[in-house]
Amino acid sequence: MIVSDVVCPFCGCLCDDLELDVEGDRIMHVQNGCSLAESTFMHDTRLPAPIRRTTTGWENISYDEAIKETADILKDADRPLLYGWSSTHGEAQSVGVHIAELIGAVIDNTSTVCHGPSILAIQEVGHPGCTLGQVKNRADVIIYWGCNPIEAHPRHMSRYTTFATGFFVPDAQRERMVIVVDTRRNDTANIADEFVHMEPGGDYAVLSALRAIVRGKESILPKKVAGISKEQLIRIAGICTNAKFGAIFFGLGLTMSRGKYKNVRNAIELTDELNRHTKFVISPMRGHGNVYGSNEVFTWMTGYPFAVDFARGIAFYNPGETTAVDILRREECDAALIVASDPGANFPRDAAAHLAKIPTVVIDPHVNATTALSHIHIPCTAAGIDAAGTAYRMDGVPIRLKKVIERGYPDDAEILKKIYDRLNGGTGP
Amino acid sequence: MTELLVKNACVIDPIRGINGEIMDIAIRDGRIVESVSDRAESIDAQRCLTLPGGIDSHTHVCGTKVNFGRYMSPEDMRAGRTQRRGRMHVTSGYYVPTTFGNSYRYSAMGYTTLLEGAMAPLEARHTHEEFTATPHQDMLANTLFDGNWAVMDAVREKNINKAAAIVGWTLNAVKGYGIKLTNPGGTEAWGWGEDLTGIHEHVPHFEVTPAEIITTMIQANELLKLPHSVHLHCNNLGKPGNYQTTLDTFELVPDLNPDRQTLYATHVQFHAYGGGTWRNICSKAEEITRSVNSKPQIVMDMGQIMFCRTMTMTADGPMEFNLHCLHHNKWSNHDVELETGSGIIPVTYSKKSAVNCIMWAIGLELALLTKSPWQCLLETDNPNGAPFVKYPEVIGLLMSKRYRDEECATLHADTEKRTSLCALEREMDWHDIAVMTRAGQAKALGIISQGKGHLGIGAEADIAVYPIRTDSVDPAREYRKVVEGFQKTRYTIKRGRVVSRDGEIIVDGANATFWVNAKVPEDLRMENDPEFIKRFEQFYTVRMSNYPVQDVYLPRGRCIETEAFT
Amino acid sequence: MRVILESKVRSKPNLPIEAEAIIPRNFLKGTDLVVFEGNKERTLSDLFWIFVEGTAVSPENIEVVLKGDTSRIKRVGEYMDTGSIMISGDIGMHCGNFMSGGTIEILGNADAWLGREMRGGTILCRGNAGHYCATGYRGEKKGMQGGRVEVFGNTGDFCAEYLAGGEVQVHGSTGDFPGVEMRGGQLIIEGDATRPCANMKDGTCVILGRVYEMLPTFEKIDRRVLPEWKIMADVYKGDVANRGKGTLMIKPPGPV
Repeated sequence: MIVSDVVCPFCGCLCDDLELDVEGDRIMHVQNGCSLAESTFMHDTRLPAPIRRTTTGWENISYDEAIKETADILKDADRPLLYGWSSTHGEAQSVGVHIAELIGAVIDNTSTVCHGPSILAIQEVGHPGCTLGQVKNRADVIIYWGCNPIEAHPRHMSRYTTFATGFFVPDAQRERMVIVVDTRRNDTANIADEFVHMEPGGDYAVLSALRAIVRGKESILPKKVAGISKEQLIRIAGICTNAKFGAIFFGLGLTMSRGKYKNVRNAIELTDELNRHTKFVISPMRGHGNVYGSNEVFTWMTGYPFAVDFARGIAFYNPGETTAVDILRREECDAALIVASDPGANFPRDAAAHLAKIPTVVIDPHVNATTALSHIHIPCTAAGIDAAGTAYRMDGVPIRLKKVIERGYPDDAEILKKIYDRLNGGTGP
Repeated sequence: MTELLVKNACVIDPIRGINGEIMDIAIRDGRIVESVSDRAESIDAQRCLTLPGGIDSHTHVCGTKVNFGRYMSPEDMRAGRTQRRGRMHVTSGYYVPTTFGNSYRYSAMGYTTLLEGAMAPLEARHTHEEFTATPHQDMLANTLFDGNWAVMDAVREKNINKAAAIVGWTLNAVKGYGIKLTNPGGTEAWGWGEDLTGIHEHVPHFEVTPAEIITTMIQANELLKLPHSVHLHCNNLGKPGNYQTTLDTFELVPDLNPDRQTLYATHVQFHAYGGGTWRNICSKAEEITRSVNSKPQIVMDMGQIMFCRTMTMTADGPMEFNLHCLHHNKWSNHDVELETGSGIIPVTYSKKSAVNCIMWAIGLELALLTKSPWQCLLETDNPNGAPFVKYPEVIGLLMSKRYRDEECATLHADTEKRTSLCALEREMDWHDIAVMTRAGQAKALGIISQGKGHLGIGAEADIAVYPIRTDSVDPAREYRKVVEGFQKTRYTIKRGRVVSRDGEIIVDGANATFWVNAKVPEDLRMENDPEFIKRFEQFYTVRMSNYPVQDVYLPRGRCIETEAFT
Repeated sequence: MRVILESKVRSKPNLPIEAEAIIPRNFLKGTDLVVFEGNKERTLSDLFWIFVEGTAVSPENIEVVLKGDTSRIKRVGEYMDTGSIMISGDIGMHCGNFMSGGTIEILGNADAWLGREMRGGTILCRGNAGHYCATGYRGEKKGMQGGRVEVFGNTGDFCAEYLAGGEVQVHGSTGDFPGVEMRGGQLIIEGDATRPCANMKDGTCVILGRVYEMLPTFEKIDRRVLPEWKIMADVYKGDVANRGKGTLMIKPPGPV
């Protein structure tokens, strides 16, 4: 059976034009997807049943037992941490927030190791952006800064930028100019019209220099900034100010280089400055398929997009203090619930190690590095494969993930609701 | 079966012509009935002012740009935070509260129905998710069409039927309530960083003018028999001298509907400026109200600003960018492909600014100079003019010349010569306020037939009991009591349940979302139109089959069907 | 009056304690104060041995002394307006939050956000201060607005971010981006600094040590004598990228 217009839940592109060939409870073939999509849909090995760690290994337990023990672990914890959320749907994320509020926990999502700095920058200077279709239909200048879409977002360029035919840009390949700014010549740089080779750590200085040039103050600049010649900087600035519609996309090269949110802020302020000359937008290349969704849900419920601390009965936000990595590193938390993410693989070692020292429960369809650090692992549906729900694309557009097959697992939203019920003495959120 | 009896209520119900009668209100299963049994729980309203639940006909509380406003303002989130307490979740935010914050605070003020001012169709799912998280008010969504490519093509082709069919398809797809136009044509120009400066200027590439968009959509609206009229945020918002654009726009509006206005012009204060620069800006409220007073086909709302820090957020992208260049505050922008735009930026309205003082005066002038309160409704374009928690202060100002005089004495010296507010003697009465905060909205939105805005038999039991004894308060002198009284109801009843008591929420909500399905004839439907389908295939980045808002997003949807094209 | 609070040994010593109640003024009413440990409410005596010496009729004569392991105690001195606090060891985050008067002295090191959103008063940190020393809160346009913060050791990154008024003096070196977004006030760094005064709008910064990765958008305009430091400093104006009119004065030989 062919199921069309399927939404791939893997990365922030949320491509929704996939065609899946489904037989019973198996996906036989994926059409239109990239290699990450194929992997997601076709190499989807699940943990068959909930497991609990014993002194000698693991034992199978029932869902009810697993839920009961999870509630017991969380109930009296003095500083519980609920982390992850980025690969599941909004329905589960909402229940997560309700649980955190009920038990005075800290709830955080994967922005904390990814685009958290972008959010901090937006909180300082705002976000001049747009939906991806605006870029596709209008942009004649595309800048990829500190990211490598060919590897991390393989269809980004064919669906939204370089190769995508747009209403006002019908001859995309000829009419669009692509500039890549990076510290090394990556695959995306190899197909760009211009590559700006920057010294590591130079993003901030280069962005300041570009802002000065756009303001007409190039005379004060030195001959080179972070290894880039003043001539090339002036040329890039000129391309930008003469564009009809420019779009900057940036990734971890900017958010995780020294200075982090200051780098992103500077890029946003450059975009601001360019808007005085022409139309320019800037967008973060969000990694996880629904990390933006967790930001949106957390925000409308608590006021903050990540790192929310309910210990004092209010929502308190202070990245650096209420962020998961910092809390784990300082060994503050005494219980953890990890949902739809893999901090065991993505966190600095000293932070991840603490998860093994405290009772940690994982709710995730797949066994991953975090399983090794946990006490209980409860398998559930995978949003977009055997569970439907809402996801938010990297540009904020909400799309409903489809349930394509049935594999007999409970939806993680259901599991979380049951945990909530136990914690709340019987009444739902 | 649940029964409730509200006794000794001093009712003002303009739609039914009741003005201060003491009566009992009987409620069964969420509706107002003739009488209830002895087993009914009863509440003694103690002769307090009892009105139908408040209705806000233009507020920004749910959706992409509202959430942007929250997300980018942690400093506001912490300023307005409240503790988790009883049934009440944690809330954050003062000028852009979280959804629970909005819902609780509106409920405390007696509001039971809200129209979200702007929803971009592509992102409607987000609005509906937030509707469900605003649990104590029934919600309606104004759906944006100002920069809609399909609509502009139909306008250029002078094909009203097609424009109507596009609107019909879209409202059905995204569960919207009515047609919203924000800076029509201007939001498409902003896709290139440009704007339009007049209603007869052409939109780049699409070659239509705002005047054409507005007139075509007005016709389409009536063809579809939508309960609400076209809802318009005029071109040139905020620009000195823009009153002429507003007057010219009003001249375009025919009188096509016997039951309600043909155009709802929103936050008109921002569109009533004379002069030509920030130096010589002045009030043209007299000219605007002269026009509205002679045109029953137009209803407007005030767009009152108050002196405070707040957040502007509209689909009017170019206007927001101009504000950014003026004040250098943090600015967000979010253009939506093929549809519309938006901008978000915090502002502070200050008494030290002559311009702000004039703006403040204009909002009040509009209300005081419009003869019929049914034609000028009380809003602040929340949060653009002020957060909605300031509505009681606006009520106080409208009812008391003394309050206005005391405020006028603290304003910038230039205000008096550039506005006429200080000379206006009119003081609204309780009935006027009831019209401006609920009855007028119910009529303008076309929801009287849904049982909203009045307390007659069969109406939905949405009721607000305010701690005000109209027989012992003189609103002209005791404006403080008026303000306090409207801030917190003794009881807010929603569909027959007491949801708020003295400002505390006591039950979980179960709101409904109203939307419109205009039944377009088979041969006109957009799902059969190859060009319409092509736009999805080629230019949108979401597939046509994934675009509509699925039923699951409206757990308690109330669909209003209309017999379009008949 | 002297109130001595000696921290008790805890079964979960890594749990953060929030003790915004510990300000001199509150001890006028006694020692029955509420503090939080994680998400649990505690009394002061649950977490501290309390010794009171003498009496006071007004708060400016109250000195609070903290002893023992106080490195995880947050928000001490929050909204303090008078009196003094002496911390014998290290102190946790947000020490002196919103302070408007009085004195806080820390003999050890201070964790992040020392003196956040300060309006007045004096903070002396004998050891090192963590990241975000003398700064503001996310999203606010102004950080520290008045008062004085003096760090005898080094600071972490983002020292004096969004500085709008008052004075910050660091005897040691700062980390990355000291004085970033500053718009007023005075920042003095006697040691080294990396990428100082980025995006500066206004205010004054003096650096006596080495400057690493000086930003390209500062314009050298002058040389000026600074009598209090007995040097002739190079004067830069910037940050030009941000239309800034701030003053950055660096002791020669200048940026590395």
